Amino acid sequence: MATRQTSRAQTAGAAQGPRDAVVVGGNRIPFARAGKKYADASNQEMFTAALEGLVARYGLQGERLGEVVGGAVLKHSRDFNLVRESVLGSSLSPQTPAFDLQQACATGLEATITIANKIRLGQIESGVSGGTDTVSDAPIAVSEGMRRALLDAGHAKTWQDRAKALARIRPADLKPLSPATDEPRTGLSMGEHQAVTTARWGITREAQDEIALASHQHLAEAWESGFFDDLVTPFRGLTRDDNMRPDTSAEKLAGLKPVFGRSLETPATMTAGNSTPLTDGASTVLLGSREWAEAHDLPVLARFVDAETAAVDFVHGREGLLMAPVHAVPRLLARNGLSLEDFDFFEIHEAFASTVLTTLAAWEDADYGKNELGLPGAFGSLDRSRINVHGSSLAAGHPFAATGGRIVATAAKLVATKAAETGKPARALVSVCAAGGLGATAVLESV
Amino acid sequence: MTAAPPRTADGRELRVETQPGLPGLGGLYARGAAASGRIAAGRALPSLPVIGEGRSPDGQPGTAGSDLSLPDVAYRVSGVGTDGLERHLHDYQRLLHEPVSSTLPAGYLHVLAFPLGTAVMVRGDFPLPLLGMVHVANRVDVRGPVVLGDVLDVRAWAENLRPHRRGVQLDLVAEVRHDGADAAAPPVWRGVSTYLAKGFELPAKGQSGSSGSGSSGSGSSGSGSSGSGSTDEWTPPLPTGRWALGPETGRAYAALSGDRNPIHMSALSAKAFGFPRAIAHGMYTAARALADVGPGRGDAYRWTVEFGKPVLLPGTVDVAITPGAEDGSGYSYVGWNARKGLRHLSGEVVPL
Repeated sequence: MATRQTSRAQTAGAAQGPRDAVVVGGNRIPFARAGKKYADASNQEMFTAALEGLVARYGLQGERLGEVVGGAVLKHSRDFNLVRESVLGSSLSPQTPAFDLQQACATGLEATITIANKIRLGQIESGVSGGTDTVSDAPIAVSEGMRRALLDAGHAKTWQDRAKALARIRPADLKPLSPATDEPRTGLSMGEHQAVTTARWGITREAQDEIALASHQHLAEAWESGFFDDLVTPFRGLTRDDNMRPDTSAEKLAGLKPVFGRSLETPATMTAGNSTPLTDGASTVLLGSREWAEAHDLPVLARFVDAETAAVDFVHGREGLLMAPVHAVPRLLARNGLSLEDFDFFEIHEAFASTVLTTLAAWEDADYGKNELGLPGAFGSLDRSRINVHGSSLAAGHPFAATGGRIVATAAKLVATKAAETGKPARALVSVCAAGGLGATAVLESV
Repeated sequence: MTAAPPRTADGRELRVETQPGLPGLGGLYARGAAASGRIAAGRALPSLPVIGEGRSPDGQPGTAGSDLSLPDVAYRVSGVGTDGLERHLHDYQRLLHEPVSSTLPAGYLHVLAFPLGTAVMVRGDFPLPLLGMVHVANRVDVRGPVVLGDVLDVRAWAENLRPHRRGVQLDLVAEVRHDGADAAAPPVWRGVSTYLAKGFELPAKGQSGSSGSGSSGSGSSGSGSSGSGSTDEWTPPLPTGRWALGPETGRAYAALSGDRNPIHMSALSAKAFGFPRAIAHGMYTAARALADVGPGRGDAYRWTVEFGKPVLLPGTVDVAITPGAEDGSGYSYVGWNARKGLRHLSGEVVPL
């Protein structure tokens, strides 16, 4: 294989390098706009539903899998074993171990990387990765003043001390705290951060609306063509992603008022149409070794080749909050001896339409390539007709931790279909940005 | 030892008066308010020989007692223990978004030393009213960490009285050393707070024999006040952060710092001093900016701030923290009101 990395094959003790991890398939529930169809569904219910659909599709009832790994970004403290509890509520063997993992919006992809790595190292033969998130059923916390008073009262030994602690509660402390999407260190919401990046790269409103329109059209086409028939299980009466607007138009999108970046000097360009909505949903991906898939008579869609994560200093404005994948991908491709031309598909998570555009702009900028990426010049341009060919988060919605699983399953099926059609290997690049200046990226290849 | 008397930036030698302990700010404000009332009353009656009228509008030279001069005294408190401050320190760190640790942030040492400087400013012979003085700039040099349990020696004095187009400026200097440290060596923490007293004038040169009325202002602070009156063209940079400051911000910082100046406490009390609403403490905003710079500031640094328009509470401040461009070390920062395009504060945090 031309794409096998050379450095790792020479590691001591691993004579022939790690073995392959392959994607067998995926299953998710349709994504629902917050407060709608899944308004009373919990994370555990949604993840269990997605997992159970996967089990049913691949006949895994009673099977002891190597590991199930997933997570949720907005999580109740009572959900400390969210994934394990979901496994226990599924028809997988109760002897299937599981753990929770969280890396903001990259949770689902990071979970997939984790399962793939365990398979490649021979620690497990099979595993499921995924994620779930609900904004509708998000935890609400008491204020810091209330929390401290209650904790102190709990620690108090006498009723007088308890009363003293509780007497510290002020009316303002009674206000509950809802989870916010603000970055804790900067106080700017993700949308405001991206508005700054958008302004820095001079991305136009029109270009963003174009991406949004394409996302809805492509996703609708994919649903119509039956692409998602073996990737999605209906849930709570929903059979398709309900954020999708097949009939939206450039005019409709152009009519929306900007919601982010309105306090900047430059005109605001980011609207509810070219930003992802708050969404509920869950997704899973089934991975295994080739041997395991063969022994269980399961199909193999793609090889999970390699992954790279990155982080950027957005706190001091050195880089945009959602630009970490821009740094991860050049490192990932260099390690694997690949260039942008080697890819048939680019799955770039549409946190915002402008996230895709600032990513492309940065890769096409020679100064940026030199100064920020340490390359001789611009990283490169990519064929835009290969980006998010079946739509992405703008149309499907973005239940934070569930997005990685949706993208990996889509990318795996894309390369498998393409390779079957052309008889040639096909390759997909996956890129997911995340809060905290984080990003996770991966390469999938047809088998 | 710590016996060497401090000198002002213009070479004046100061008499050191040792105080029994760090004063609490609450009582000082009461005294300051009384003294300010006295001075204000004096100014309202032009027939009286009053402070601040060395060159009165009608051209009459000021009388002998009317020159503005700063007291030739430095207050000192030694043996200041920090053992019992853990809870207070952690409350400060949480309020200012500093990591909770046993290291006293530079802004926290300002809070500790500030009452001693205020005590100098409410002395009977201090020529300017405490209330109504505007904190226009601040500079702190930090030469190393001060941690809980350290025993400290704190000194404070006023110096460098100088003219300003809107009144007079002076620097309130505070120094913190570890107890027993060499007084000739630079202190581990040194703060210079520049205040503007509006409407006062310095006597013409040579008229007063007193020291400390140097007029150049070329000395320590270097702050000028160009920032404060800035209605000049200014385009805000792209923000790196945003502070959403609730109405309680002033009261919360007042509770920790002891600085209960009425302009910070409520809209009602602020209105009495001409502000439409309560305003945030300048040092609260400067300390938030310092916290935003984060651990990259290192252990020894200079932290400067120049205050512009006050931050009305509740309010939103857009902030840009910018890594030093030239040599790649240090940071500059600016905070502004995005809706009105007004600068609230700007400054630097650079390695020493």
